[in-house]
Amino acid sequence: MIRSFAILSSTLALANAQPFAIEKMPNPPGVDPQIGGLAVLPDGKVATAFHRGEVMVFDPATRAWKKFAEGLQEPLGILAESPSSFLVMQRAELTRLKDLDRDGQADEYETVFDDFGISGNYHEFAFGPARGPDGRLYIGLNVASNGAGVRPEIRGKWSDIGTLDRTQMTHDAQWGKRSAKAGRMYSRVEWRGWILAISPDGKSMEPFASGLRSPNGLGFDPQGNLLVTDNQGDWRGTSPLYVIQRGGFHGHPASLVWQKNWNQGDPLRLPPAELDRLRVKESARFPQGDLANSPTEPIAIPDSWGPFSGQMLIGEMNQPRLVRFLPDDVAGFRQGCLIPMFDGTQLGNGNHRLAFSPDGTLWVGKTHLSWAGAEGLVKITPSQLDRLFTATSVKLEKHGARHSLAITLSQPLAKNTATVKVERFNYRYHQDYGSPKTDAAPVEIGNPEPAQDGRQLRIPLLAKEGFIHRIDLSALRDTQGQALDGRVLYYQATRLP
Amino acid sequence: MKSGLLSVFLLTSVTTFGADDPAKLFEVHCGACHAVDHMRVGPSLVEITGIYRNNPDGFVQWCVKPGHKRPGVIEMPSMAHLGEPALRRIHAHVIAAAAGKTEQKIAGGDPYSIPRPMLRRPQVQRIFLPDASPAAIAVALPGDLSYCFDAGECRLRYLWKGGFLDGFSYWKGNGSEIAKLDGEIIYREEAFPLTGDAAGNETRSPKFLGYNVTKDGLPSFRYRRGGITWTETIQALPDGSGIERRFQSDAQVPLTLATPRNATLSSSHGQPTLTAAQAKSFTLTLRWK
Repeated sequence: MIRSFAILSSTLALANAQPFAIEKMPNPPGVDPQIGGLAVLPDGKVATAFHRGEVMVFDPATRAWKKFAEGLQEPLGILAESPSSFLVMQRAELTRLKDLDRDGQADEYETVFDDFGISGNYHEFAFGPARGPDGRLYIGLNVASNGAGVRPEIRGKWSDIGTLDRTQMTHDAQWGKRSAKAGRMYSRVEWRGWILAISPDGKSMEPFASGLRSPNGLGFDPQGNLLVTDNQGDWRGTSPLYVIQRGGFHGHPASLVWQKNWNQGDPLRLPPAELDRLRVKESARFPQGDLANSPTEPIAIPDSWGPFSGQMLIGEMNQPRLVRFLPDDVAGFRQGCLIPMFDGTQLGNGNHRLAFSPDGTLWVGKTHLSWAGAEGLVKITPSQLDRLFTATSVKLEKHGARHSLAITLSQPLAKNTATVKVERFNYRYHQDYGSPKTDAAPVEIGNPEPAQDGRQLRIPLLAKEGFIHRIDLSALRDTQGQALDGRVLYYQATRLP
Repeated sequence: MKSGLLSVFLLTSVTTFGADDPAKLFEVHCGACHAVDHMRVGPSLVEITGIYRNNPDGFVQWCVKPGHKRPGVIEMPSMAHLGEPALRRIHAHVIAAAAGKTEQKIAGGDPYSIPRPMLRRPQVQRIFLPDASPAAIAVALPGDLSYCFDAGECRLRYLWKGGFLDGFSYWKGNGSEIAKLDGEIIYREEAFPLTGDAAGNETRSPKFLGYNVTKDGLPSFRYRRGGITWTETIQALPDGSGIERRFQSDAQVPLTLATPRNATLSSSHGQPTLTAAQAKSFTLTLRWK
């Protein structure tokens, strides 16, 4: 009896071969279920920040919601300090919510940090906080959009750098006639387009990095690097992933007006070649339409996720998937490979915030903010991940005058190595919104060689600096006949070895 | 102007991988926001066809350089990366997909709005409010009064009578619209109602410190201004003719009450000037005229 049950269940597992159970959770009644922040508590409960300002705690055991706080302004990130203390990034400030009398509801809304500008422009979102290995809190501040001007009253310092003065920047019925002169996205109040590092008590702040546009996703990798995603738009030919460099300028010029001792006038008037020389390059790029249109939060995958452990998982708003990032340190620069995940599953789009439970459950918080997306909380439970066939690392190596891509696999390859296709393309770095693909071409490769008992595939090729290399492995099979989880890889060769 | 835009665009466009099937292109790049016969994030294909049926150039130009046309609706991102040939194929696809279809009306309005009598009071909501800095906080008091506390200026800005807020267009437009007050403003405060001894004043901007929620659900705002740390809790007077403002401060100097234009202000200590000792804890009663 026991034996036949065991056989039956293993047969079922093979027949299903679904490594992830994806399940939509009930929404709290009367609450706009667009999720701006997720944090898992040590007991597995999920603190969730909603679009209209509620913070509610979801108990996975009872599937019930309990309100912890309310009235916040468009919260877009939450971090748990303890079951009775949370940090929330809302539009106007970083706030600590404290339950002082331990009745399960916040009674103190402490302003931790609000020393940044708000012009009242709708696009000035505030993202984070992510806690760094140094204990500091990292936040990202969106630049404003010329879809609107600023409000008559602002908070914080005003920058006079720009074609339009403060009066002309103030929104009125004639705004549309002046908007082109504002810059597509602009930073006229302090620290817009910056990543700030803040001490936990909020008393000290370091302007950590500039050049961001819409940094809706901050997360630290297991090595302590701060990864930030940004959105396709002006100065972003397609959506980038940055490994943030302290003091670095990350390509979107509007924020430079707040650089200490800035004396080069309107940064939008600097020659693009000069800005290109100044900027930190992307560590990876998400081809628009092909991979992701609006990437979100990066989060480290825990050890319990077998072949995925230690990699970064990234959300995506428009397309029904998540994306993995596999790092590759080349010539002192961390770049890497993006791989689609959860394709062909019930996941859906709108994947905004991610959090792992101690037991390995992945929680996905969805939103749309009136753009493309979805709503509510989704639970993803993994099973038997060790049986999955997937790429676990992709390294660009030098062999004489040529290169090879060494792809490590979680299962041994079948004997006959199938066809591998590689092509490359680029995007422009320019002021225009987005970019078509440029210089697209197939890449000639040598014979892919299995190594390490079939656990590695080496693809000889000549990589091109700065390009995305699209590696199509859809014909690959392991010895069990499985295709890869994540069949197309996008390797960003910012540097060559 | 038009042709200039188009020719610049032609120079920058190149063919993209797999860009031949317009239905597939539409699904990947447009379908998340545009439905066939009803408004989703943007207008339906039926409506788009009505505007651009015989104007493919106008369609392409809009897709390359869209603007912000409809109040309360999100601005469309540029589709310049698709290239003009693909956009022309999408134009034809849009018209074909909308053929024979008519616009379906979707019920508007806020699905989460709460009718006035059902509104829970007191209640705090941070949101963009009129006539205040962008760091504004709305508070509904028990009864029919609400007020705007400005966390940028660290002071009461105004009070209104009636219902609380209509924030739907604010939340729907991510701040592109300001919340509407559900009521009439009955009092505006032009300046902080207390001034300290000149020697104790400082010119630094006010600093907001946050708020505590009292047992009865009222916020007690904490802030620094004029070198003094303040706590202020506002309650409605039982007869609805004004408010009571409970203050605590660490003032080391005497304080003087302002004389508001449209209201009377009196202190629990009876005089228009508070001694430093009285300034530790006092109540101001404000009645509008």
